[in-house]
Amino acid sequence: MVRKKERLANVSITKNDKVKVFGQARNLIVTRRVADMRVVRYLPFIVVIAILIILGLTVPHFLTISNIINILVQASPLGLMAIGISVVLIGGGIDLSIPSLMALGGVFGAIFMKNGGNPVLAGLIMLAVCTLGGCVNGFAVGYLKMVPFIVTFSMMTVAMGASLWVTKAVSVGGLPQIFIDTVLAKIWGIPVIVIVLIFITAVATLLMRNSLYGRWLYAVGINVEASRVSGIPIARLIFLTYVISGVFAGLATIITTARLGAGAATIGREGVVLDVVSSAVVGGVSINGGVGSALGAGIGAIIITLINNIMNMMHLSYYITLVAKGFIIIAVVTLSSFHKK
Amino acid sequence: MIEPFLRTIGISKSFPGVQALKNVSIEAFPGEVLCIVGINGAGKTTLMNILGGIVKSDEGEIYIEGIPVEISNPLDAEKYGIAFVHQEMGLFPTMSIVDNMCISSFPNKLGIIDYKLAEERCESVLKRLGCDFHPRTKIHDLSPGDQQIVEIARALLGERRLIIFDEPTSSLSSREKTCLFEVLTLLKKEGISIIFITHLLHEIFEVGDRLIAFRNGEVVGGEMIKNITYKDVIALMIGTEETRSFFGCRTPKVVGDLILEVENLSRRGVLYNINFTLHKGEVLGLWGLLGSGRTELERALVGLDPIDKGTIKINHNGILKTIRHRDAKKWFGIITENRRKDGLLLPMSVKTNISLADLRKLISRVWPLIDTKLETELSKKLVNRLDIKITSIEQQVATLSGGNQQKVILARWLLSNPPIYIMDEPTRGLSVEAKSEVDRIIGELAESGAAILVISSDIDELINLSSRYLVMRRGRIVAEFQAEASKSDLMAAAAGGNHE
Repeated sequence: MVRKKERLANVSITKNDKVKVFGQARNLIVTRRVADMRVVRYLPFIVVIAILIILGLTVPHFLTISNIINILVQASPLGLMAIGISVVLIGGGIDLSIPSLMALGGVFGAIFMKNGGNPVLAGLIMLAVCTLGGCVNGFAVGYLKMVPFIVTFSMMTVAMGASLWVTKAVSVGGLPQIFIDTVLAKIWGIPVIVIVLIFITAVATLLMRNSLYGRWLYAVGINVEASRVSGIPIARLIFLTYVISGVFAGLATIITTARLGAGAATIGREGVVLDVVSSAVVGGVSINGGVGSALGAGIGAIIITLINNIMNMMHLSYYITLVAKGFIIIAVVTLSSFHKK
Repeated sequence: MIEPFLRTIGISKSFPGVQALKNVSIEAFPGEVLCIVGINGAGKTTLMNILGGIVKSDEGEIYIEGIPVEISNPLDAEKYGIAFVHQEMGLFPTMSIVDNMCISSFPNKLGIIDYKLAEERCESVLKRLGCDFHPRTKIHDLSPGDQQIVEIARALLGERRLIIFDEPTSSLSSREKTCLFEVLTLLKKEGISIIFITHLLHEIFEVGDRLIAFRNGEVVGGEMIKNITYKDVIALMIGTEETRSFFGCRTPKVVGDLILEVENLSRRGVLYNINFTLHKGEVLGLWGLLGSGRTELERALVGLDPIDKGTIKINHNGILKTIRHRDAKKWFGIITENRRKDGLLLPMSVKTNISLADLRKLISRVWPLIDTKLETELSKKLVNRLDIKITSIEQQVATLSGGNQQKVILARWLLSNPPIYIMDEPTRGLSVEAKSEVDRIIGELAESGAAILVISSDIDELINLSSRYLVMRRGRIVAEFQAEASKSDLMAAAAGGNHE
C-alpha cells in the first residue's frame, strides 16, 4: 500500500513536467483559435457598423434618430422571428413554419376584430394560434422523434394554405383603430415596439445563457448523446423550443398586422422564411446547432432589413433581392465552415 | 512438404507509443484453418490490416506462394486472392443480395449493369456454399446467419486463395454457427487457406487445424490443435508468469450496505436474465470479451437503451425500492465508452462540462438563473481535487488531452455525487500516467463509499481495480469471482470452454 502511494507520487511529478511543456504549446494554439472565434462571433456587429458608416456617408439623412428608429420598427417582426428560430436552431432543429403561422395567426385575429371582437382578445388569439402550431411541431419533433424539416415544412404548407383559404387570398382590413394605435404607440418618441424588441432580446439572451433550460439547449445542440447521458430531459426541451418559436411568431404577427392595418396571408410568403433563416445565420447562429445567441439573431435581423432597404433604394426588383439574399446565406455558411476547418 | 500459400517473415509495426507487432512470422497453408488467438491489443488486427493493405508494415516481407509481394492497398490484397469476412457486417440492408455482392465489381456495359450476368455469378457462388437464396432477396429479409453467408459469398466472388475471418461468429446463433463451420470445411476441401480469428476458444477446437497465439505484438506459440488442450491456449494468451496487480494485492475490503440489486434484466437478443448486486464501497469488475454484452448491460441498466423485462432496486435511505427504468439515470454516474462521442460537449468550456449533470442544483435562490459564481467555485474545487491540467476553467474541452478530458467527466459526476458509478472503459486511449491517475481516483471514490461498476478490456487494469468480478458471455452473466481470482480464471470464464 505504501509502495503504491510512493509510486503514484512519482508518476504525478513526472506528469506535471511533461504537461507543462505540452501545455504551453497547446495554449498558443488555443489563444489563436479563440481569436478566430471572436472574429466570427462579432462579425454581425462589424458588418452592421460597416453598413451604417457607408450609408451614413452616402445617403443623406440616414443617420438621423428618426430614421434609425424607423429601421428598428421595420426590423422588429423579423427580429422576433429570428430569435424564435435561433432557439430552435441552437437546439439542433429547424422551423420553417414561423412566417406562415404568423400569417395564419394574423388572419384569425383580424377576422375576429373585423367582426367586432375585443382587440386584446384578438391579440391573444394571434398568440394562441401561433403557439398551438408550435406545440404541434414540438410534439412531433420532440416526443414523436419526427424529422424537423419535414414536420415544419408540412406545418408551413398547412398554415399557408389555411390562411389563403380562409381569406380567399384577400387581406382582411378594417381593424379597430385602437388596436393599431396601441401597438404602434410611442413613449417619449420611441415606439413601444422598439422598446419591447430590445427588452425581449435582452431577456432572451440572458435566459439562453444562464438559465437551466438555456444551458441545456446548447448542450443538446452540441451533443445529444452526451446530454442524454447527463440526464437532460431532451424530449421536453425540444418540444419547448418549437413552442417558444411559435410564441415569437405570435408576437411578430401582432406587430405586422398593426403596421399593415390588416390581416393578410401574404405576410408569410416564401421570401420571409428566407429572411428569418438568414437573420439567424448572419447573426452567428449555427445551422448545425449549439452556437449562437438571441442578440446575434436580433442584429442579424437588422442587417437583413438594411439590405432590403438598400435594395429598395436602388430600385432593384423583389426577385433580385431574393437572389442576393440567397447568396448571402451561402456566403455566411461557407465562411463558418472554413472557420471549422 | 507443401508450399505455404502465405508466409510473412519478420513483420514489425509500431504506432506512436506502441509497438503493435514485433518480428511476426507466420505461414498459412492451403486447405488449412489457421486460428489466431490473443487478448485485445495483442496485435491480431494489426497483422490482418497489413495483410489487407490497410496499414503498411515498418519491416518484414510477405511471400505469396514463395514469391515476395508488396501489399500496399486493398486492391493489391484482392489481386493476390486475399479476402476478408469482417466481424461487423458491412452489408447494405435495403439492397438485394446481388447488389451487395457485386457492389464494387458490377459487370456492366457502358455503365448499365448487366444484372443477368451478375445474378448468375452470385448464384454459382451461393450454390458452392450450399445456399439457394434468390439473388434478388433483400438483405434485411435474411437472418443474421444468412447475412453472414452472403458476406462470405461476397468474399468468394472472384478467385480467392486465402480468406480471413475476423470473429465471424459474434452475431450468430449456435445453429447458424454450425452452418458456418460446415462452409469452412467445404472451403478447406477446395484448397483455400483460412485464417480464423476468434475470442471464443471452444470454436478453435471445433474447426481449427493449427493455432498461433499472439501476446503483446509477438507470436508466442504455434501448435497443431490436436496436440494442445484448452488450458494450454489460455496459458499462451495471457502468459505463464501471472503478473499480479501493479499496485500489490488489493485487499478485499469490508463491503458496505447493498445499494443496487438487478433482477432478471433482459433485452431481447442482447441481454438475458441478468442478476447481480452491488454494495457501497465496492468496485465490481465486469469482464467479458468484445461482443459479450458488457456495454449493452451498462446502457440498458442506466436507461440509455430500453429493456424488455427486469427490475432494478436501489437502496435509498435504507429502503430497497424498485425504481422506474426511465428514472434510472438519476442514480447513476455514467462514464461511457467514447468520451468524445457521448461524454463531452467538446466546443464548450471545462466549467460548462463539469456542471452539466448537476445544473438543477446550481439555480440561484433569487433568479431562475444559474448561479455562475457558485458554478465557477465548485468547478474550480473539482479541478483542483482531480488535478486537471488547464489554463482556466473557461478553456475549451476539445483542447485538452484525453486524460484531462476523462477527468472532466469524472468531475461532472463527482459534482452531482450519485450513489452508483458505471464506468465503461474509463481509461481507454489514455497515457500510462493518466491511466494510473484515473485508476487512483476510482479507488478513492470507492473508499469514500461509492459503489462502482467498471468495464474494461484491459484485464490487468480490471484486476488492479476490482474487489469482485462478474464475467459475461453472449449476453449472460456466466461467472462471479471474488478478489482473489486470477487472470486465467477470468479468461477461461469469458472465452467459454469445454470444461463447463
